[in-house]
Amino acid sequence: MKGLSDQELMKLVQSGDFSPAAEVFDRYSARIYNFAYRFLRNAEAAEDATQEVFVKMLKYATQFHGDAKLSTWLFSIAANHCRDYLRKAENRNRESDETLIHLPTSSELAPDRDLERKEDELRVQKALTVLTPEQREAILLSRYQGLSYAEIAQIAGCSEGAVKTRVFRAMETLKKALTEPASGGNECLNVMP
Amino acid sequence: MPECDAVREAMPALLLESLESDLRERSHLHIEGCEECALQWENWRLTWTAMDSLHDVPVPTRLRVRFLDHVASLTPAGTVVPMARPRPVVRRWLAQAAAMVILVGGSFYAGHRTIPAPVSGPKNYVTPATVNNVSTTPFSIAESQVVSASQISPDIEGRPQIRNVRFLEPDGTSEKVAIAFDMTSHVTVTGRPDEKGLVRVLSYVLQNQDHSSLSKSNAMAFVKETYSGETSPNPDLVRALANVLKNDTHEGARIKAVEALRSIPPGSASAARSALVEALKNDPNPAVRIKAIDALANLAKSGESFDSATVDLLRQKAGQNDENLYVRVKAAEALGQINL
Repeated sequence: MKGLSDQELMKLVQSGDFSPAAEVFDRYSARIYNFAYRFLRNAEAAEDATQEVFVKMLKYATQFHGDAKLSTWLFSIAANHCRDYLRKAENRNRESDETLIHLPTSSELAPDRDLERKEDELRVQKALTVLTPEQREAILLSRYQGLSYAEIAQIAGCSEGAVKTRVFRAMETLKKALTEPASGGNECLNVMP
Repeated sequence: MPECDAVREAMPALLLESLESDLRERSHLHIEGCEECALQWENWRLTWTAMDSLHDVPVPTRLRVRFLDHVASLTPAGTVVPMARPRPVVRRWLAQAAAMVILVGGSFYAGHRTIPAPVSGPKNYVTPATVNNVSTTPFSIAESQVVSASQISPDIEGRPQIRNVRFLEPDGTSEKVAIAFDMTSHVTVTGRPDEKGLVRVLSYVLQNQDHSSLSKSNAMAFVKETYSGETSPNPDLVRALANVLKNDTHEGARIKAVEALRSIPPGSASAARSALVEALKNDPNPAVRIKAIDALANLAKSGESFDSATVDLLRQKAGQNDENLYVRVKAAEALGQINL
């Protein structure tokens, strides 16, 4: 299975053979999980989202067209699921109540440099929460998943121009939050674009 | 200055390297010659570098297992794809029609089988519900029924699949709460929170290993809400929470179990304490261990005296070099709150 391209794997799935499911999962689960984890800021919800993406991949395999990239299709499913999740008022409450702070294992935590790195990571995590869901989606897909504006536009169902604007606004907010001094930075975190 | 505006607007794209080459070159030339834009560009680059600190989180291994379980459920073991002499269309049509007749007939039978009132013993109430705020969910095949907690059999036989569990709080005019779920029919169990039958159903939901629904998570939230005011919580409930804490593979569920145990007043403190101590000793997840320390400290604050083994464990955690730093700090703080 490892030697097969995404398209070839999906052709097998489309014919009703689910044996490539594990291979597809291994190729994309980390990216999908991380996207959902950063988007939803909730580990449990990110797990559910990832499961949902791969279950839907099997269920709606016939809707996948070989001319598109599998990653774009999977991210579309993931983004839709995450948007739905955030839309539900009940889950919005949970999002604020259970905002996840990833705790490092003891092996990750050693000297001061690691603690500094941890602080930086928390600052970025915090800064990302200030973004609107659309901006967060755009920045996560472009900066952390390396997708092009055209692919993000396809996933978000908007124009490339709109994606550019979202990324620009997101970056501006992040710039304010991350490059200004700590005390000012915190204040800046409250400024919505 | 319009050029400055255009260049600054293009800076994120410049960072993402998604700018066309001639535009990229022109932007860089402008930045080199413009002090203001160079400053802006430096800030963008700093932001960009800072964003690098966000590392990927590892995918929990259970997620793969969960997905592969799902795949396995779609492809029954031992299924052999026949070498295929296609079944004649007419035969397939007949088989489908027969299946439909069995399904519809069976559903009709199942639906009507639940209606007749029992001759004696437990009494079934067909909806509408007796708890004031219970609203029935449409359940198309079988009937919905409301059962009093006192009518629940002492043992839940087998491992019935229950889904869509919902919890209904009292509405102020009644002390009763209700647990509604779908089994072969839509069932609502009503009763006082301390009634054995209700606790039994709740314990069953808590110990269900199905993570694909929110039932268990909702059950623990319900325990927190409903039982925090009780003077002596039901030991079965504490045992069920302790089991979740000990055996559940999902750390989110284990964290919620600790929170629920923490909310239960010290009536069953010793059972809760042993579960928390066990989690602090053995749970692989630092977040669960931190929550366990928090809950132990809370017990201490409420006047519970700790045995020397618990205090020793906290001391050990506070000084253990290979323990997570946050766990160590929490353990040290907890020791400060215990009356030694």
